[in-house]
Amino acid sequence: MPQFFSNKRLIILLVSIIILVALIGFSMKDREELTWPEKFLKDTVGFTQSIFYKPANLVAGFFENIGEMKNMYHENKLLKAKLDEYAQMAVDVKRLNKENKDLRKQLGIQGDLSDYKVRQATVIGRSPDKWNKFIFIDKGSNAGVQPKMAVRTTEGFIGKVVKVGAFYSTVQLISDNDRTNRVSAIVQGNKRVFGTIEGYDDKKRRLLLKKIPIEAKVKKGQKVVTSGLGEVFPSGLLIGEVTDVKPDEYGLTKTAYVKPAADLYDLDHVMILDRTAQKLDENVLNEKGEE
Amino acid sequence: MYRILLPFLTYIAFVFESTVMQVVNPKQDWGILLIPHFSLVIIIFVASYLKPSYGIVYGLIFGLLTDLMYTDLIGIYMFSTALVAYITAVLSRFLFGNLFVTLVLTILGVAVLEFLVYGLNTLVGVANESVDLFLYNRLISTLILNGVFAILIYYPLVKFLRKMKDSIGEN
Repeated sequence: MPQFFSNKRLIILLVSIIILVALIGFSMKDREELTWPEKFLKDTVGFTQSIFYKPANLVAGFFENIGEMKNMYHENKLLKAKLDEYAQMAVDVKRLNKENKDLRKQLGIQGDLSDYKVRQATVIGRSPDKWNKFIFIDKGSNAGVQPKMAVRTTEGFIGKVVKVGAFYSTVQLISDNDRTNRVSAIVQGNKRVFGTIEGYDDKKRRLLLKKIPIEAKVKKGQKVVTSGLGEVFPSGLLIGEVTDVKPDEYGLTKTAYVKPAADLYDLDHVMILDRTAQKLDENVLNEKGEE
Repeated sequence: MYRILLPFLTYIAFVFESTVMQVVNPKQDWGILLIPHFSLVIIIFVASYLKPSYGIVYGLIFGLLTDLMYTDLIGIYMFSTALVAYITAVLSRFLFGNLFVTLVLTILGVAVLEFLVYGLNTLVGVANESVDLFLYNRLISTLILNGVFAILIYYPLVKFLRKMKDSIGEN
């Protein structure tokens, strides 16, 4: 029986392991822009994905609809009751919005961390290995999409744009365990409590809201929203609801388990948000530093 | 013609992983994950029935494509897929090619790839799952899915690859 690895092969294996480590190191650093071959590949693969995804989704949707028909009567009743509430709420919101605008004008405040422009996009695929939680959407730099824009569904915040081709781009979901995937968040309540969303517990299917001060009071059922203080996302996007709070492993801060508001496994249409509030001008910062 | 058709087929399988298989995926409440590795299954067939060198080159190219498209880090899938193609090529030299042997090779190859990717991702910090969760929720169901896919494509693909081998041999 011949040797499994001859000497030559062994050297090739070792060299390829070195190349592997070098490649991982290269791709681990923060790259905002894709190189042009990557962009070209992204658009080609995105095009084929969109051909396959839409028909498959239609067929799956048809069977899902049949399943849903059973619950229709019950749901209809519930929705009618909600609709009455909604009419009252819509009037209230309109009045409050107008009042807010007038007051802002009187005070002379322009812009707000929660302002954004919206672009619609359709999901055309998902990362197949569940280690990386990416979805692919059918809008790219030609439609004005840029890296680091926030993405949400009608239910809540889901993630940020990471890779952008000309016509297609990739969205990193908030549940991805990448160490650069962190979102500054607030627990709403009488007193606002700050923390960061860092990673996801696959077993419990909860987001982890870490770095909450130990003396802060966080209760089950409180809503978690984006803070907008990271200069990337608009503020006030709903992330989820607190289901459990635990002290962290060192006992210095607390970790809250957050149930995502949007269903991160069933995404069809998403909205890309372009934050309109201005960032700090770097020139101004530098000048101040020199004085 | 075969030289164009085989990469095209593999590419279709590659796109299938991220689109059709994601639509028909089981609900998250079931707690199991079905990870399709269809392009890898085709590469294993190529390595054992066509030519080892073809299998390794296909493994490098489609591994790199997987890295660029579906993940954040370049290199993990490229290395693992090419290694699986090499192992399959070496093993299939001693084994007679029939449905059962190919099924065993496929399951072995997918398992090796899953373990390699799990290990490398754990090293880098992308994956933080415990080993028992990985084995029960992910590996077994994934092996079954890809085994079924291998059985489904066995007869047409092997016929196709044998024809292709003949046409390459004539040139």
